[in-house]
Amino acid sequence: MIDTVTLALTLLWGVAIGCIYILMAAGLNLIFGVMKIVNFAHGQFLMLGAYMCYWSWFLLGINPYVAVLLSMAIVSVVGILVERLCFSRILGTSKLNEIFISLGLIYVFDYSAVMLWTDKPKNISTPFEYSALSFGIVSISYDWLISIAVVSVILASLFLLLEKTKVGRAMRATSQDGVAAMLMGINVNRIYMVSFGVGSALAAAAGSLFGIVFSLNPYMGSIPAVKAFAIIILGGLGSISGAIIGGLVYGLAENTATFFLGGIWRHAVAFAVLILVLIIKPTGLFGEGK
Amino acid sequence: MRILGERMSEKQISRRKYLKYAAAGVVAIAVGGAGYYYYYSKPTGTTRPIRIGLLAPFSQAEGPDMEKASKLAIEEINSAGGVYVKEWGVKAPLELVIADSENASPEKGVTAVTRAIIENKVDLLIGGMSSAEVVASQVPAIENRVPFIITGASTHLVTRRGPQGNYGGLPQGSPQRIEDAEGMSYMFHYCTTTFHYSKSIVHFFGEYLKPIVAKDRNFKLAIIYRDDPYGVGVLNASKSYIKQDNLPIDIVAEKKYPPNTTDFHAELTAIKAVKPDGVFVVDFTVGTAQVYIQGQRDVGLNSMYMAVEVCEQPEFYSLLGKWGDHQLLESKFGPYAGPPFYLTLMNTYIPKFKQKYGVAPGMMGADTYDAFYVAKDAIERAGTLDKAKVRDALESTKMKNMLIVTQTGYIEFGKTPDTYHEIAPITFMEQLIWRDELSETRPLIVWPEQVPGIGVIKQKDFELPPNYVSG
Repeated sequence: MIDTVTLALTLLWGVAIGCIYILMAAGLNLIFGVMKIVNFAHGQFLMLGAYMCYWSWFLLGINPYVAVLLSMAIVSVVGILVERLCFSRILGTSKLNEIFISLGLIYVFDYSAVMLWTDKPKNISTPFEYSALSFGIVSISYDWLISIAVVSVILASLFLLLEKTKVGRAMRATSQDGVAAMLMGINVNRIYMVSFGVGSALAAAAGSLFGIVFSLNPYMGSIPAVKAFAIIILGGLGSISGAIIGGLVYGLAENTATFFLGGIWRHAVAFAVLILVLIIKPTGLFGEGK
Repeated sequence: MRILGERMSEKQISRRKYLKYAAAGVVAIAVGGAGYYYYYSKPTGTTRPIRIGLLAPFSQAEGPDMEKASKLAIEEINSAGGVYVKEWGVKAPLELVIADSENASPEKGVTAVTRAIIENKVDLLIGGMSSAEVVASQVPAIENRVPFIITGASTHLVTRRGPQGNYGGLPQGSPQRIEDAEGMSYMFHYCTTTFHYSKSIVHFFGEYLKPIVAKDRNFKLAIIYRDDPYGVGVLNASKSYIKQDNLPIDIVAEKKYPPNTTDFHAELTAIKAVKPDGVFVVDFTVGTAQVYIQGQRDVGLNSMYMAVEVCEQPEFYSLLGKWGDHQLLESKFGPYAGPPFYLTLMNTYIPKFKQKYGVAPGMMGADTYDAFYVAKDAIERAGTLDKAKVRDALESTKMKNMLIVTQTGYIEFGKTPDTYHEIAPITFMEQLIWRDELSETRPLIVWPEQVPGIGVIKQKDFELPPNYVSG
């Protein structure tokens, strides 16, 4: 018999881990929504973000939560460079080109990281590492609470960027119809660049938080990237709200499956939910059919 | 008469001369014999270095550690003149041949070992890390009759899957069984197996911890493990020893998860719900550290966590931070449990290793280091590099313990089906204690009290973790 506290805790952790997936998926969805490219190397931006946060903390002594911002800034520049040097050159050509460029980037980033930081795992210590907030028999560490708060702030900022700024409107317009946006005087190439930069920064934030609450290594990006793809398909391609709901649903499905059925069902059940949603609504929870 | 007399006189002289000639002859024969012996007992061919192949994963942390330990052993042996080969009448130096399995890949391992045997013509092989890697890579050595001292791989199959080991319990028709008894006789295992450490761990829980935390009931144990042959192997061996040795332990939770999992919250929440007395974690460094951390920091499962010896790595301590304080680690070589260390040799080996390479030695390197001395001893006793004779010499090895402690105090390879060509190592339990000056924990041996051939190895009394909540 499962007691309610245990069940509540399981759901709590589902939501908590879902928050990190949301950031990752939102970035991926932004890039796909605007540029219509599938970037398999998105997980490598997460890894790079984690290491930037680690370096800022380890070498410069910056508070890891402040280092999240620095990491986002650095990785967004890397993202822009990747977009300019790789993806912008092959936009509109075969989808295979996009796939192989992103697959190639995975190896380039992973092996560069091994050279720079070795393959040994590392961790980031925060001032709140050993503190937790207790609610009777339930307690949650400050690091998790701050991480959830950071995700909320970043998502709110993303919402404001997309809804309340000129660049955001241009991004949404490009996402809806790139040619029409261009005809309306929007510099689509610039919007592609900005979108890729913002998407990469979101992955960097996810990576930094992941590094704080877990640990980091050069290959850490691959599994979250697969999950991010599942989440954006679940939530609906191109929809940021879909990424948020999809991330939470995925996190909850993963954790409840693990709790009730065991860890080996973790991915199977989460992907079963994905298949079920696609059967019922092929465009995903918040996706719009053309 | 004169003539006769002369003849007599000649005869007398002749006898004297005869004696002189006889004496001269004896001397000549002795000198000649000595010369002959001296001439023909010299090396018959050109002496050459003794080539030892090292199978190691150089894309992982363990590979470089094994190489460093090998080079240190070779340097020591060569600087003392090398290995005496009676057949040659001289000492020959050891030469290292690297067989890189990259990330302990079975395919890369097979290629590397084959190349070492065919192209580099190694006299003997040492090394190997993972079970899958060694099970595949040992095949060329079996086929080519090359003695192989395997210093990694926790599976017993590496020496027991032939007829001498009753095929390691493999069912008939299993592709892992090896029918080539002669080839299998060249395999030697200088490492703990799943059976060794699983037995040691459950005995520690059942005999040592049970009276402390569960006086009037069975010890409630939760096992959380990787869903791969390593994790499943440890689980099965542990359950089998609990039953076979009638230990007062109830397994209250068995939670498996896919390898490379990083989020253990759901598993640990479920474990917390069954209120265990101890949590046995079967994973490598990162996974184990995450279970320790997430269990205490996030889930509030304030229990006693036990990790397996593969976690005896520097990054385990750095990842754990304070969450490792008062927790447990099973080990067979504790480079961090000192100084002073529990073995005399460690007091020279560890500083020498650190001085030469600037890093602390790892566990995989310790087995490798010892194996070079085992090889030296066998070659010297064999008096030849003939592989069959070296194999025979390895079979009769009886050396005093070096860095790995054994049950008899000697390095000996088993001969019965359930110990075939394995050493009988002793594993011990370390308790990690927080050290402010290092900002990390460091281990101290808490069990057993003493071991044969060495005496007392215990470094501190066991203490329950301050936040410990029993079942």
